[in-house]
Parts: sequence; structure tokens; C-alpha cells
Amino acid sequence: MNMLKKIFAVASVLFVSACAFDGKIHRPEAEADPFESINRPIFKFNQQFDKYLLKPAAEGYRAITTPFIRERVNSTLATTVEPVSAVNNLLQGEPVDAAVNVARFAINATLGLAGMFDVAEGWGLEPRRATVNETLAKWCIVDGPYIVLPFFGPSTPRSAIALATGAVMDPVFWSIYEDANVRNKVGFSYAALIAIAARENAMELLDDLERNSVDLYAATRSAYLQNLSKLRCFNDKSADSDAYDFDFGIDVEDDEFEKAGY
Amino acid sequence: MKKFFATFLAVFMMMATSVNAETDASKAESFVKDVTAEGIKDIINANIPQKEKDERFADLFNRALDLDFIGQFVLGRYWRTATPAQRKEFISVYRQLNVSTWSKRFDEFKGKEFIFKGTTPSNSKGQVFVNTIVPMDEGEPAKVAWRVREKNGNYKVVDIVIENVSLAITARNEYSAFIKNNSGNVDALITNLKSKIQ
Repeated sequence: MNMLKKIFAVASVLFVSACAFDGKIHRPEAEADPFESINRPIFKFNQQFDKYLLKPAAEGYRAITTPFIRERVNSTLATTVEPVSAVNNLLQGEPVDAAVNVARFAINATLGLAGMFDVAEGWGLEPRRATVNETLAKWCIVDGPYIVLPFFGPSTPRSAIALATGAVMDPVFWSIYEDANVRNKVGFSYAALIAIAARENAMELLDDLERNSVDLYAATRSAYLQNLSKLRCFNDKSADSDAYDFDFGIDVEDDEFEKAGY
Repeated sequence: MKKFFATFLAVFMMMATSVNAETDASKAESFVKDVTAEGIKDIINANIPQKEKDERFADLFNRALDLDFIGQFVLGRYWRTATPAQRKEFISVYRQLNVSTWSKRFDEFKGKEFIFKGTTPSNSKGQVFVNTIVPMDEGEPAKVAWRVREKNGNYKVVDIVIENVSLAITARNEYSAFIKNNSGNVDALITNLKSKIQ
């Protein structure tokens, strides 16, 4: 009963928020970072963590594996989150996509040898990834301010909640839930593998960014927030391009820039 | 992230010259088609030494992108306060930095292709978005929108938007933050960028 009450409470909040907004769930970039003075030190801390731990781990991983093996690992990691996508596709009103997720999971986990090979794609079942963050955005939950999380990096309050929710929705989490000892060991190894594989994937991009950037914090923030702007509220009727169709007329742009407070 | 990065570099290596005509979405699209085709055929898949590839890339980059226009936008409000000498120097360093960064990595785009998905009008006069997607090794394809500007019958790329991330806006926000933290000094930015070109 208690559970039902909670669900009802959450549903009403979601409903009210959906009605209250006109689909604008993102802050203008110039106003998105009121906590810059706290975010910058955390960003620096993350850079040190990356420099001394995560990046060396990713380099080690690259050194002891071949591209073929890494592809198999990435493919398996993608397969484990298919059920999460299925739930989110349902919550976003995409039952067909959800069915594709379920079919992909069933086929790839078995015939694809624990997800190592994407057999389903060969059969025309293309990936239909859906995340918790997309679902929350579609329900018109606002981003909130830009925050930098220790270890996890760029985020917003909504993205942080989505990250945690996505983690507990992961079937790997459920399959190890019973035994605390197993849960800790498998859980941390799985999280570490995800982090290291993602870091390895982004190696060249991050190297270039670091080398060419004059203010890595500002560049990261800008790219993160722009990328986030592709997540949209269901009643947001603006065109996809509106997010990046800024006025390129230089003089007009100058004035708007002044007003934005830079 | 992987998707973002693979396209990020992919996109920079496919630029070319264009046809002469009035502003026209289909002409903008065929301009981008020519640019990407030239990049793939004459640079990525060409069997020539790396040095020649770098030269071809620099040439294509400069023909296809309107760096004078982009550089002015990227400097934001500081464009106005900059002296003509500073403006010129900034554009030149910005150009070199982009060419050297991307020419190092364009081979990573090998085996990939752009699939054209029509155009979207822009609110800016004489500009249009040419929409493309790039199939990835894994997961869904990456979306890449090319912002094309027509001037006197010439078409040039003025922005590239990868998964909603505009390279022009990102650079402007980054450079503005840097100049602001250096007491509004454009020379500080130019010096810093120069140290990155090797």
C-alpha cells in the first residue's frame, strides 16, 4: 500500500511538471552554471583522478587487448543494458522499440554468446537505445543547473538521478542483489569495466581536447550542455535545429552575447 | 562518447570547393556531398604519402570552411575590441590549429560514410543545415549537421554540429571564458593557441 502511495505521489509530481512547462527544460548556457566556483575544483580533482588512475587503467586495458576483444567487450556491455532500454522505451511510449530491445537481448545473450556478437543487427533488429535521462526529459523534468560530480564528471541534478536509476535497473545489479559479498565484488568490477572501456573509447578525443584546449572546463561544459539539449520534452514543438540555429549575424550576436553576461 | 569523437574528427576532413548558384538548399546539399566525397576519395582512401595527405587536407579545409567568418564568431564580443592585427593573427592561428589537429587523425574515418538526410532551413539569412548521419561500428548512427552559408553564389561551411554540439559555439564559449579570466586580453589567447601548434 505504501508503495502504491509513493508511486501515486511520484506520478502526480510528474503529471504536474508535465503540465507546468511549455517544453523548455534546458537553461540557457550562460545561466546554467551558478556553481562554477565549486564545479571547477571538482573538475580539477577528476582530472587528477583520470591522470593517475583511470587513464593509466584504460591504457593498460588497451595494451593487453586487441581491437577484436575490445569490440566483444563493448558489445557485451551494450547487451546488458538492453532491458534498461526496453523499460525506457515503454515509458517513452515506444512499445515497438521496447520489443526490439527484448528481442535483441534474447538473441544476443544466447546466439550472440553472452552479447559478444550482435547477431540481432544482422537480422535487421537495429539498436534502439533509450536511457533514463531521455525518459525523464520526455516527461518534462527540467535539467537544473550544471554540476560536476566527483569521479562521474559533468552532470545536472536530473542526469545524476538518471545515472543512479539506470544503475539499479541494470540486470547485472539484479542478478547479484541477493548476496552482499558477491554484490560488492561483481558490482565494483562491472562498474570499473564500464568506466575503463568508456575511457579507452574516448582516448584520442580526450587527448586532443586536452592538448588543444585553453580552458578545458569551459569547453567540456559547453559540449555537455549542448549535447544534453537534444533530450526533449514531449510537448516541445520546436525544430531539432532550434537548439543550434543561433544567430550567426555577427553584430546581432555581439549584443546578445553582452546581455548573456560574459 | 565514442560516437561523438569518431564523427568529430571525421567531419573535419571532408571539405571541398563548390558550385556557383543562388542560395538553394539542394545546392548546399550537393556542395557538402562534393566536399565529403573529395575527402574520402582523394585523401582518406588515396594511396599517397602522409605528407601529401596533410597538404591535400589543408587545401580542402581552407576551400570548404569560411574560417574568416567562423573566427569572427568564435571570438565573440572580443572581436570588437581586438585590433585589426590581433584579428588577423587570431584567424591565422585558429586555422592552423584546426588543420594540424584534424589532419593527424582523419585516417580514423576510414571505412565510414555520410548518409544524406535532407536539409533544414536556418533562421539566419542565406544559411541552411545539411543533415547527415554516420553509421557507427556499434549502436545508433551519429547525427552530423553541416551549417552552410551562401555568399555571392559561393557555398562554405560555417559550422558543424555533431549530436547537437556546435563546434563554433563550443569554441566561442571556451575562448570567451579564457579571455575573461585573462583580464580581457586577446593576446593571451593567441599566445596560448600558438604554443599548441607544432
